[in-house]
Amino acid sequence: MKESHRINPLFSQVSAVFRPVVAVLACIGAFLSPFPLLAAPRLPTDPAEVLERLPMRPGDATARELAGLRAVVTRAAKEAPADPLPATQLAGRYYGLAIARGDPRYIGYADAVMAPFAQSRNPAVLAVRGQLRQYRHDFDGALGDFAGALEADPQFASAHAWRGAIYLVQANYAAARKECDALQALGRPTLYGGCIGLVRAYGGQMEAGSAALQRALDETRDAGNRLWLLTRLGEVAAWRGQPDKAEKHYRAALALGIDDGYLLAAWSDFLLDQQRPAEVVKWLAGWEASDGLLLRLALAETALRQPAAKAHVQALADRFAAAKVRGDTTHRAEEARYLLHLAGDATTALAVAAANYQVQREPRDARVLLEAAIATKDAAAAQPVRDWLQASGFEGAHWRQLGSASAQVRPGVPAPQPGIPKASP
Amino acid sequence: MMRLRGILCFLLSLFACAAMPAMAHKASDSYLALQVKGQEVTGQWDIALRDIDFAIGLDANGDGEITWGEVKARHADIAAWALGRLNLERGGECALQVAEHRVDDHTDGAYAVLRLAGTCPSRTQALALNYRLLFDIDQLHRGLLRLELDGVSHASVLGPASGVLNVKAGETSRLAQFGQYLVEGTWHIWIGFDHILFLLALLLPAVLVHESRRWTGVGSFRVALVEVLWVVTAFTVAHSITLSIAALQIVELPSRLVESAIAASVVLAAANNLWPVVERRRWLVAFGFGLIHGFGFASVLTELGLPRDALVLSLVGFNLGVEIGQLAIVACFLPVAYLLRNTPLYRKGIFVGGSILTLLVALVWLAERVFDLKLISA
Repeated sequence: MKESHRINPLFSQVSAVFRPVVAVLACIGAFLSPFPLLAAPRLPTDPAEVLERLPMRPGDATARELAGLRAVVTRAAKEAPADPLPATQLAGRYYGLAIARGDPRYIGYADAVMAPFAQSRNPAVLAVRGQLRQYRHDFDGALGDFAGALEADPQFASAHAWRGAIYLVQANYAAARKECDALQALGRPTLYGGCIGLVRAYGGQMEAGSAALQRALDETRDAGNRLWLLTRLGEVAAWRGQPDKAEKHYRAALALGIDDGYLLAAWSDFLLDQQRPAEVVKWLAGWEASDGLLLRLALAETALRQPAAKAHVQALADRFAAAKVRGDTTHRAEEARYLLHLAGDATTALAVAAANYQVQREPRDARVLLEAAIATKDAAAAQPVRDWLQASGFEGAHWRQLGSASAQVRPGVPAPQPGIPKASP
Repeated sequence: MMRLRGILCFLLSLFACAAMPAMAHKASDSYLALQVKGQEVTGQWDIALRDIDFAIGLDANGDGEITWGEVKARHADIAAWALGRLNLERGGECALQVAEHRVDDHTDGAYAVLRLAGTCPSRTQALALNYRLLFDIDQLHRGLLRLELDGVSHASVLGPASGVLNVKAGETSRLAQFGQYLVEGTWHIWIGFDHILFLLALLLPAVLVHESRRWTGVGSFRVALVEVLWVVTAFTVAHSITLSIAALQIVELPSRLVESAIAASVVLAAANNLWPVVERRRWLVAFGFGLIHGFGFASVLTELGLPRDALVLSLVGFNLGVEIGQLAIVACFLPVAYLLRNTPLYRKGIFVGGSILTLLVALVWLAERVFDLKLISA
């Protein structure tokens, strides 16, 4: 209804008499309106109103570094358009930012920088492209890129490491082991230890895997490497039912003082399994921008019945809905956990977990599929995970419990309660 | 916010990356809603301020914050940049411009809202859309398009490999188009209070007879039904005639005149209930004023836009829709009125009271429309 203005006072009084009539008519109109009242775009009035905070200021070290790299790329595009190395360097930097900050926009920037070199067979170009592809879960494409990089440069250790990592996610342990062996042959003991340690831990030899990771840790003084190895050691200890050991590793990793989303996610999952949600809330304060960490935060707040849980669960719902609209499927493992444990939609959770398991088959992917299958009493849906448990010999006790529970569920019969695991994320 | 990791050692930490690839904020999306009706284009385009900043720079003072003042100062640049990356063709390039700038918040931050307006050379041909926003600098960017072409909706995700879209006009079945105008017609009578009040003013006395200066209930339902049918049919025939000639642009009347006359018709119909002048042949009143109301319906139809290739079909659909809306009102009104016809509630409260209310409301409308005021119009 438009604002009345310059109304003749007489009409104004007349209209006052009919206000009830108008109210009724307006009410009917509102009821019949096909458009629900949407939050309308607004017109700010204060020029000083801050609308958006950028991830970095132009004067920040990172921003200056990026600007420098971009300038080199722009110059190279004019002077030596065939040289892919400046673009590769910038794209690699963007990729690092995407991982460190959990911000996929940098992946899009890196893709755009690399676009002119789509046909290049340069190993550095192929390696960056492979990383970008694996980020988008194009694992086969990424494996091909790293294989191409190795063809051009057989000494390219990180290409082997990447291939090993991807095969681990795909639960192809035989292929992963070959990549580990190649790293050993190249004389890279730390990389080899990380690679073979995980292959063993995933493949039914947790003790040997843990020992290999520990040896690799003893080999390296590099803080980044130590952080990663300690995190994985913590996970393996938790799977083995050794919570004290796991906590020691996690705390050593956290003590390095390096922000790392993967470490925080693994540590939070550990704390959630240990029934210590209050600590999760403390550790994850300020990390809401990351979907994966927001999920853990919302799980902890829900367990504690904190009022903040509601807004965070809603934020997750909005983010998954937004990802769905653009056809983004890289968040399905987290989405399944959200659906199962926060949204109470086990049926959709099962479908999402099953779709995720087609692509990613790590223990955490297996676990949410098992949990969803049990919640929906759909024994058949969990068959791929039981096949994996059988074939790999994975020793996580809680996984084995869930696996047998999932085989016994029948529609209409109350689901067995495998209980809270003593240890394991 | 996540802080930058101190040391980026990828030789090992890349494992973690593969295992947990997308701990994401959100990749870049823009939201483009376009309505193309004949030659007319309207729309809204929401683009993240962060993306605009990355493309053309918004943070003038370099403090890492984008203020409304900084955005406002660049409105012309933002419009030129965005419109330079969107082409719309319908029988040739459609001239687009940004009519208004607003801001809005989405799940991942603040967005500039560009209200679009424009015209295309053709009103019937296929529509071609070419979207290139941000692809040169962000290949993960997607344009989330909702397009309404002549009332038919399309949704699409526009990416670097799928930024060009061709939508054939009239690809929807004739039936769907017919149905759409049918719904519009029904809808219009439901939200057009003046039409409803006019009809009700004529229908209120249908269950009564005026004998020796007082009203009594009619003897049978059939009598009331026949009276109603006459009134409704006459109204329909009349407004169909004028609606058609106005929609076909044979006769065009100024809308203020039409709207005022419609208000006057409601005044007179209500007054006739209180001080009966026309008693027997109310269908004649319905017919006469129906001619006026038809011009009113036509203005709605003009706003909707009539497809050239399905002119008659749409017109018939709209008319039928109006009819269905009217019949729904009659179906609700008549049985209740018939049952209550001999009660004081109906004769005093509903018939007299309702007529007085209608008269007064219509008088205000009349005043508004004649003097071009805004008093109570919804």
